[in-house]
Amino acid sequence: MKNQITWKEKLSERIPADLGREIDIFEQQMELRKQGKIDEKVFAETRLRRGIYGQRYDNGQRHDGNRVQKLNLSPDVIKGPDTLWDAPGMMRIKIPFGGITPAQLETMADLSEEYADGVSHVTTRQDIQFHYVHIDDTPALMRRLAAVGITTREACGNSVRNVTACPLSGICREETFDTTPYAKACSRFLMGHPDTQDFGRKVKIAFSGCAQNPCGLVTMHDMGAIAKTKVVNGKVRRGFAFYVGGGLGSVPYKAKLFDEFLPEEELLPTMQAISRVFARLGEKRNRARARIKFLIANLGIEEFRKLVLNERQKLLPDPRWTAYLASVNEQTETALKPGVNLNGHQRREGFDAWYATNVYKQRQPGYVAATVTLPLGDASADQLRALADIARRFVKDTLRTTVEQNFLFRWVSEADLPEFYQAIEAIGLGAADAATIVDVTACPGTDTCKLGIASSRGLARELRFRLGEKSLQLDEAVKNLRIKVSGCFNSCGQHHIADIGFYGINRNVKGFQVPHFQVILGGKFHDNAGEYGVAIGAVPSKRIPEAVLSITEFYVRQRRKDERFQEFVARIGKKAIKDGLEDLTKIPAHEVDRSYYSDWGDPREFTLADMGVGECAGEVVSQAEFTLAASERELFEAQLLLDAGRSQDAVKGAYASMVRAAQGLVKDQNPSISEDENQIIGEFTKRFYDTQLFWDKYAGGKFAEYLFKAKEFIGAGAAADADRAVQLLQEAQLFIDAAHDCHNKVRGPVQSAVTVAAAAQPGA
Amino acid sequence: MELEKISVKWFVEQPNTLPLTDFIDIFHGWIQATDGVYHDVADYSHMQAGPGIVLVANDANVSIDESDNRRGLLYSRKSPLGGSNQEKLRAVLRSALENFSKLAREPKLGGKFKLLGNEAVIAIHDRLTSPNTDESFAAVAPEIEAVAKNLFGGAEINLEREPDRRRKFAVRIKASRSFAVDELLRRLSNN
Repeated sequence: MKNQITWKEKLSERIPADLGREIDIFEQQMELRKQGKIDEKVFAETRLRRGIYGQRYDNGQRHDGNRVQKLNLSPDVIKGPDTLWDAPGMMRIKIPFGGITPAQLETMADLSEEYADGVSHVTTRQDIQFHYVHIDDTPALMRRLAAVGITTREACGNSVRNVTACPLSGICREETFDTTPYAKACSRFLMGHPDTQDFGRKVKIAFSGCAQNPCGLVTMHDMGAIAKTKVVNGKVRRGFAFYVGGGLGSVPYKAKLFDEFLPEEELLPTMQAISRVFARLGEKRNRARARIKFLIANLGIEEFRKLVLNERQKLLPDPRWTAYLASVNEQTETALKPGVNLNGHQRREGFDAWYATNVYKQRQPGYVAATVTLPLGDASADQLRALADIARRFVKDTLRTTVEQNFLFRWVSEADLPEFYQAIEAIGLGAADAATIVDVTACPGTDTCKLGIASSRGLARELRFRLGEKSLQLDEAVKNLRIKVSGCFNSCGQHHIADIGFYGINRNVKGFQVPHFQVILGGKFHDNAGEYGVAIGAVPSKRIPEAVLSITEFYVRQRRKDERFQEFVARIGKKAIKDGLEDLTKIPAHEVDRSYYSDWGDPREFTLADMGVGECAGEVVSQAEFTLAASERELFEAQLLLDAGRSQDAVKGAYASMVRAAQGLVKDQNPSISEDENQIIGEFTKRFYDTQLFWDKYAGGKFAEYLFKAKEFIGAGAAADADRAVQLLQEAQLFIDAAHDCHNKVRGPVQSAVTVAAAAQPGA
Repeated sequence: MELEKISVKWFVEQPNTLPLTDFIDIFHGWIQATDGVYHDVADYSHMQAGPGIVLVANDANVSIDESDNRRGLLYSRKSPLGGSNQEKLRAVLRSALENFSKLAREPKLGGKFKLLGNEAVIAIHDRLTSPNTDESFAAVAPEIEAVAKNLFGGAEINLEREPDRRRKFAVRIKASRSFAVDELLRRLSNN
């Protein structure tokens, strides 16, 4: 039933003028790109800042398990380097502080059906994403979002990303005050602000109402604010413990305290000043070192603070800094029904278990917040519409997305819970698993991400299934653990802050590539992501469920009364846990059982070809593999030194492990390489760094630079504190992982040793 | 009025005991057997009444769809089709049935993937051109009816519009008796 009307015309009355204008401009830019009048890189950043991201295979190629297929897509127009116009992409939709209304849920449902594959995916930063979206559909999609008050602006790209906040803000029993109005104001103020348009990388901001709970995850953000009050001249003043320079990514950094009490009126100007300093001094060329965390690491927090405070003094006053403060004490939400406690109401089977895990008693009497867990963060269009109905029936519009990829319904009258439970159970969302080991968090991984190495969602699905089956029998201490999975080292699944984290890597087993996951232990979700875990060893992907079982059973057997998992790991030691996993690192030979050589939910023989690497080859050189294995052992020993409080020795050990891995690679081509570190590094540089053989397609020479930096650090004789040691250990792990990848790349059956040697020559 | 973004769902006969994940391997096999037609297989087996297993392509997705808690093969056309509305409807019905037939013959499924040959749902994934209203139904029903009568020749046909106005515009076709896949395909090929 085609007619002349467009979404632009149909929604003209409902789209705010500024948003409408922005979308019009983007549509024009699309047209200009199609005509070749905008540079592909410029357009790529332009679309990223509109939330339009690339997706796996968008270079037009896909490995089908036997060969690389060229997809039937026109190569004539591209939307960025190596990115075909017609290839499906991902659309990220910002949901500031996770606040979403029933009407917005219904719009998401419609859009997912019409432009994506029918699924709305809640991310680990409270966004919603669609996959398999054609770029030509995005202007209409954005207009329909704008009509319900949502923008995708700056959802991706080098910009201020979605501002997240604790989903319990305003109802939490322990918070200092409700951070919602501040998160909202911050999101509005910084979005599109001229001072946030020239960053070298993204900036992530989070708010938390308290220090002790995990909800805000403040310490892993570029800027993080924890609500705090202070009595000044007899009056209670609001402010924030304000942190800067945190971030996960390949090497996680904990944010540094910028100001132990930043008065509320100084929040936005300080953020603006930080943005200006970051835009001016932050790295622009080397993307791997371009986040604020690296700028602060280079300058030191004192110098950074000085620069920011200096910048703050230069800012011209802006009424938006404080205009919103007049209403921060007002109740932003109201309940649909009076708060009535649950007392003697009839309960369905399963209700009590669900109540125990998914219900949080608000500080407001008679009210609760109920978590609706979404398996892997996914909701269908029908489920979203049903959730919108449920919201209207029980709570009006007080919903939030969560960083654990769920929905939180706030202001439910407790007495309504049995009916609420019945309603969500009817749409398949009544699982009693919120904040438990069953509710595994995962990034998209190889399902849709171009950088994915292993199937994080496949593993998460399997773990959910296996743990869910026995959730009622799980020991309470195990039940409360968190598992988080990333498809690669970039940590979108936030593996560093899980009790048990995993990130995907590739390992070579007797000439075959095998998906593995690094096991990360010791992370802390609580205390706003209070500790980052470290890798204890790699386990083949298909044996990870056994590894989880092994670790959790060990914990149940050996834990002391009330001992938390992090405390247990610290007491028992990572070596003992690693030893327990030793048997699981082995897999049957390829000819005996091929299932280990493919990933979860994907029968293709495992390959990194879709990442653009892993196609070249060489011969098996067992000496090199042996040396790489030795490097892992050395790194593990360094970890043990760190655990024993010997940071300086740990740093030396980590550096030595990197040198060992480099030696392993060099042995491929120069079996007589000595033990002299200078010679090893020299040879490594010449043969692998200068030739870019060691380079990662996306990270470039970043991992090799970790080695060079460590050498400098050791050479300078600088003292290493625990933070520096943890960092260096993380970098060493990534270097060793990259060495494995490089080794896989240059060896293999299809390329002769002669070719490898030729490729290794500088300039070849 | 011109129909685009048409999908057709053909249901499977009950009881249906095949694990959803069985279709993942099969779809990957289809990818290997073609050359650049398909982009990927999306696994939503963890969702209740969700999109199931989706074989993604540029022109049309094929999925083992679980929506409404009823399994079926869903063929969703994305790129534009030529011809009249009735030709487009026939083309989409035919493509869906061809994919169904291919799965029904799949040895790995052991003959357990069978068509419920008296019911199909046609939907339009475009609320701008085809809102789920009585007007849309009035405009499209005659075209669907003409195609359905031919398809289910000799049987009584009943058309029902999707009653929830928020859901996409969809028309359920029910025939008074069931037909085999091959017969339905033959009828579509003859017109």
